[in-house]
Amino acid sequence: MKQHPLCTDTEQASHVMDMAIPAEMKQEWARLQTRRHFLGRSGKVLAWAAMASLLGGRALRGDAHGPAYGQPGASDKDQFKLPNFAPKAKRAIYLFMSGGPSQVDLWDYKPGLAALYDKDIPDSVRGSQQLTGMTAGQARFPIAPSHWSFKRSGETGTWVSDLLPYTGRIADQLAIIKSTNTDAINHEPAIMLMNTGNMNAGKPCLGSWLSYGLGSMNDNLPTFMVLQTKINTHEDNQPVSSRLWSSGFLSSEYAGVGLRSAGDPVLYLTDPDGVDREVRRNMLDAVNDINRQTYQELGDPETNARISQYEMAYRMQTSVPELADLSKEPKSTWDLYGPDAREPGTFAYNCLMARRLAERGVRFTQVYKRGWDMHANVTRTLPLICGEVDRGCYALVTDLKQRGMLDDTLVVWAGEFGRTVYSQGGLTPDNYGRDHHPRCYTTWMTGGGVRTGITYGETDDYSYNVVKDPVPVRDFNATILHCLGIDHNKLTYNFQGLDQKLTGPTPASVVQGLLA
Amino acid sequence: MKTGERLAVLADNWLPKSKATRATWLIALAFSLVLMTLPWIVRLDGKPHADWQQFLGRFHPLAVHLPIALLLLVPLLELAGTLRPALREAAGFVLGLAFISCLGSLLLGFLLAYGGGSAGTTISRHMAGGITLTILAMFCLLARPWWERHSVAYVYPALLAGTLLALIWTAHQGGTLSHGSNYLTQYMPPELKRWTGLEEAPAAGSFYAKHINPIFDSNCVSCHGAGQVKGGLRLDTYEGVMKGGQDGIVIVAGQPEKSMLLTRVTLPTGHKQLMPAEGKPPLSAEQIAWIRAWIAQGASPSAISLAGIDLHEQQAEPPPQPVGDYSALMPEIRQMDQAQGPKLKQLSGKPEDGLILFTVDSAATFNDAQLKQFEKFAPYIVDAELGRTAVTNASFDTLKQFTHLRALHLEGTQITGDGLAKLAPLSQLTYINLSGTQVTPAAVTPLSAMKNLRHIYLYNTPAEPPPPPPPDPPSALSPNAGKSAAP
Repeated sequence: MKQHPLCTDTEQASHVMDMAIPAEMKQEWARLQTRRHFLGRSGKVLAWAAMASLLGGRALRGDAHGPAYGQPGASDKDQFKLPNFAPKAKRAIYLFMSGGPSQVDLWDYKPGLAALYDKDIPDSVRGSQQLTGMTAGQARFPIAPSHWSFKRSGETGTWVSDLLPYTGRIADQLAIIKSTNTDAINHEPAIMLMNTGNMNAGKPCLGSWLSYGLGSMNDNLPTFMVLQTKINTHEDNQPVSSRLWSSGFLSSEYAGVGLRSAGDPVLYLTDPDGVDREVRRNMLDAVNDINRQTYQELGDPETNARISQYEMAYRMQTSVPELADLSKEPKSTWDLYGPDAREPGTFAYNCLMARRLAERGVRFTQVYKRGWDMHANVTRTLPLICGEVDRGCYALVTDLKQRGMLDDTLVVWAGEFGRTVYSQGGLTPDNYGRDHHPRCYTTWMTGGGVRTGITYGETDDYSYNVVKDPVPVRDFNATILHCLGIDHNKLTYNFQGLDQKLTGPTPASVVQGLLA
Repeated sequence: MKTGERLAVLADNWLPKSKATRATWLIALAFSLVLMTLPWIVRLDGKPHADWQQFLGRFHPLAVHLPIALLLLVPLLELAGTLRPALREAAGFVLGLAFISCLGSLLLGFLLAYGGGSAGTTISRHMAGGITLTILAMFCLLARPWWERHSVAYVYPALLAGTLLALIWTAHQGGTLSHGSNYLTQYMPPELKRWTGLEEAPAAGSFYAKHINPIFDSNCVSCHGAGQVKGGLRLDTYEGVMKGGQDGIVIVAGQPEKSMLLTRVTLPTGHKQLMPAEGKPPLSAEQIAWIRAWIAQGASPSAISLAGIDLHEQQAEPPPQPVGDYSALMPEIRQMDQAQGPKLKQLSGKPEDGLILFTVDSAATFNDAQLKQFEKFAPYIVDAELGRTAVTNASFDTLKQFTHLRALHLEGTQITGDGLAKLAPLSQLTYINLSGTQVTPAAVTPLSAMKNLRHIYLYNTPAEPPPPPPPDPPSALSPNAGKSAAP
């Protein structure tokens, strides 16, 4: 069976008999072990055999837990059950701002803070919150008002920072959520929570749940794709790892497929010299035959995943070069996305690529942009990263809209948490740092199913606590699923004795105020 | 027996025999008369009176449920009494309790209306209902002993039935007072509304009629409407809104800050004068913004739109029609699903939501002939994804049979638009995407006649409307003005 990478392989662990423990204990263990093993195992085997004959051939195979509709190998019973209701969005693009963008400097306008410069944040606001090790030792928590001013944008008059002049232009089309909040205060747990609904690794991420639940719209490309933005060495880049787009306990078919930011988008996709399409086909057919034999023998569903991944790679040999060929994009595209978009791996390029993937029926595309983790030197780094991200966001939303794709594409912009209103380290008139802040941060959504031109939720005068309409991560994810036609309580997978779901065991609810 | 004898027997049964019974009846009649004249004795003048009256009066909505429950219990007990006589005995007791609680609720109701300064037709009706109900309950109580003795068979059941009818009517009037007249029907399915004739003619298209009046309707009119006119203010008509109440006008056209209505709805939470009052939810920021903009721009009854208010008008799209039963075609749909090439997928787990035609896998080779193969699925397809396929204008002959089609993707195809008029019978179509095709302005004209077709995309076509001015370069980042105030 599939071994989770984080599980210790018990077969290879040192045996009890080799351990340095008293001999009596070893003896007792041996006695219990043999008896328990025999009774336990034989009982289970009999029960499984009985159940298998009762339920028929398919029930006990790994694919019995409601596979994606339309996937080969899905049992007839479960096919065509999802989405749970008619969806507004067929696909989604998730712009992930890794590191934690500062809501204080970008979205959550608090003009009253200017008068509180260098004053300590009241204890009543901070409460008994546990801080990160980076600021817990600070003697004082001086308020650092945003270095930038805000402007009213669009017809809704939404306040947007001067750092985001382009995004300000689409403010009327966004649902800006000022009350997003998370339970985690450090990057790895927080980013896992955002993506998988759980701080611990090993759970499937949003994209995997979607491709498991909704299946593919285009057999020639993966259902779930990940685009990483080239890192800018002037920024503080927290690592992102493939855990974030892993399929966890779901079949690895549903894991995200990354496109590289430089060189070949997919490594080893082009055939080597002397191997043409036909040779490749013959080789794959032979390998698939062997794999099918293995499957017949062992019944491990991961073998099927392997077969389908080989087939996908084969089809991607033609679909990916077409995808990555931007030469047919009209001039208007480059005018919109800006000069950055011509350079592969930039955020603007990835936004353009995300639009092309959406056009080609990719269900879920996640664009990662690192570098938002500004513990110090905000006034130098923040303009830098905003300059990279701002135009891409604007161009993507505008482009989807003019092409009529925003009607059925959901776009999400979010990081894993926000940043503190008080300065980390020294506060000077010209510079400050900001620590992680989980209690409130700003995210936005637009597109299929989302009520646009609104600001949802409110924070207190310090942008510290949510005072109205809090949106915890689980509700945020439940809302995303809802836009795609999925009831978050119904998309489940039985694993470790639980009906696992993206939103976790804590009751979550769809944020109705965000829906069109 | 002759008729006269019959009447004599009846009269003999009817007329009370003992002095005590006669006295009871006389007192009951006198009491009824007093109750009936009560509205004239204590006139509701629409002005608030003593605070203690209001304090007690506000228990009316609470207490009122007691007589409702008790009165409903009486017929149940009487019926159950046919099987278990003990229950019939209890019915008399419950009826007595019901009468007493009716009286109490009536008193509290009077205190509420008089003390709180309410007036209006609904409140008068509610009051009349309450009085009738109490009187009927009293006579039920008096008539019941005859019925129990089997001397007069029908008077008590008739009175009891009358009491229940009065109860329903009175309770409905009361509900209208506290929740508004459209409370029950607000979320009624449109079909049912049409059937019951409740759906009103669409209002004129002004901003007031479409956006301001509905805010008042759902938040204010239960207290400031025809039914109840608190503070002499009526917000159910434009005239009423502009006329104001006993404290003067509430809207000063062009001057939101001087308009009392806006002041009262924007007071901080918990303020005594905040409207809507008494625990009703406050207006949303969006609603307040609309009212503010409407007042600022002249509080016009006829202006269609207001500057600075982006409504994102989401006129209700027509509800999707069930596409019918295609289960016979399912084996074929499944077969396509397992193979490479065009596929039909269900829009959702509910088959009646229809099918989506996906062609992206084989876009380059999918042409008019292939589309024609889907004719047998035509009535079941709600979304045809034909973007970047090889279909041409000839496809309209097939597509016009897709009677339930809601979305049609033709972006990046060879379509030039000749024959788009053939799609006119597709009454469900709300979305068409012709981006990146060669459609001309003349070719797309027929689309404007399609009533439900709201989303037409013509990006990168000869028919595209002139583009908006190109974005300015981002402005230079300006440091926060407030920072200069820092030490």
